[in-house]
Amino acid sequence: MLEIKNVHKSFHKNAILKGVDLSIDKGDVVVILGPSGSGKTTLLRCINFLERADKGHASFGDIKVDLHHAKKKEIHAIRQKIAFVFQNYNLFTNKTALENVTEGLIIGRKIPRAEAIIRGKQALDKVGLSEKYNAYPIELSGGQQQRVGIARAVALNPDIILFDEPTSALDPELVGEVLSVMKAIAKEEGTTMLVVTHEISFAKEVANRVIFMDDGVVVEEGSPHEILVTPKEERTIRFLKRVIPKDYIYQI
Amino acid sequence: MSQGLNYEFLIDTFFVALSGISITLLVTIVSLIVALPLGFLLAMTRINRIPVIQRIAQIYVSFVRGTPIIIQIFIIYSSIPLILKAFFDKYNIQLDIYKINPIWYALIIFSFSTTALLIEVFRSALGTVKKEQLEAAYSVGLTTFQAYRRIIIQQVLVVALPNLCTTTVNLIKATSLGYAMSLPEITLNAKVAANMGYNYVEAYLDIFIIYLILCMTVEYIFKVLEKRLSKYKMANA
Repeated sequence: MLEIKNVHKSFHKNAILKGVDLSIDKGDVVVILGPSGSGKTTLLRCINFLERADKGHASFGDIKVDLHHAKKKEIHAIRQKIAFVFQNYNLFTNKTALENVTEGLIIGRKIPRAEAIIRGKQALDKVGLSEKYNAYPIELSGGQQQRVGIARAVALNPDIILFDEPTSALDPELVGEVLSVMKAIAKEEGTTMLVVTHEISFAKEVANRVIFMDDGVVVEEGSPHEILVTPKEERTIRFLKRVIPKDYIYQI
Repeated sequence: MSQGLNYEFLIDTFFVALSGISITLLVTIVSLIVALPLGFLLAMTRINRIPVIQRIAQIYVSFVRGTPIIIQIFIIYSSIPLILKAFFDKYNIQLDIYKINPIWYALIIFSFSTTALLIEVFRSALGTVKKEQLEAAYSVGLTTFQAYRRIIIQQVLVVALPNLCTTTVNLIKATSLGYAMSLPEITLNAKVAANMGYNYVEAYLDIFIIYLILCMTVEYIFKVLEKRLSKYKMANA
């Protein structure tokens, strides 16, 4: 469904992505692991054109696009199919939780207001925020804000949701609530997801494919078992040793 | 002054001066209508470092900030007729430039100077809105124009409101300098009335009170506006 080929991106001559290929099928939950600075976030941002790749191609269903030369219209068309969940939630601070969710429906997707509100409320119910329709972001905890961020993405009914380290900015005790919402959406709705995260337990339990990136390239990819339990590459083994705590893993 | 204030004149002149309020408000409101979008767009060129235009905006701001409004009035009021006259003569247009209503000059001068002030107001306000807000808008499928209209401008306005209030109040007070080009606003009306019997103290008291009430009203309106627009910020307080 989504295929990207040979993505390159540099910032000030500092090469971040050095030719990344990736293909995702409908219903996949793909987790990208890797040390910070390996280009995971940049990859997601290039897919959604929040960064302009220096080189690379993407095909999205029947849309094929050059990631570097894409025109405004093509970018807009692709963004209509993709939703994004940000590390820092990035809720619209001047809108309530419900307005945050309906904004993209009413303005972006041109869905009638009444229908958008119903869909918005359903999405917020799904992430357990039925009580918070009219709360402003400032009134919500980090975990609640991120759940609104997820509801905002889910309500769009996109072909794929990109998650950019959705729990990294959260207090440890709030990580669980966000991960379990993501897990529920993946399991119950069959939503296609591409998730950058450091939560190994999420990769293990929810993902059907894990990609390990380092230094701007995909080092290794396979099933969670292949990557997490029986990794082949030296770099993967070294990384896993550092991040997997021996005695404790979040339960979700 | 030995006979004290001339109360009759004080009251009569109050209404004479007050009749100039429509001109004062007209100049203020038209200047704001011109300066708000223009100032915002030029502030955007500064923030996004659009070459050439941002430099021009920068120089423009320095010119306006670096000169008293009264001098800007003198220069424009005395030079534009000359330029227009040369232009009319050249193209044989039969129009008496000395019959042009001074309100046109006032509108040009005050729009011009207010735009410069608002560039700076919006530039600082735009700096407080994080670019992540724009990215989030893109991610839910909004175009740049929609994102600005629905998300960015609303947030910028709330931050800019206190400074917009100051600019508006200063603008109202600055229009009193319109008397220098015979603009029949509050100040000129009172001065003309005072000229006849040398009742300057009464006339000045009148305009003092009128400006005070006018500016306090504007401040109140802005305060109400700010409270309504910024409820998302004080939700917890």
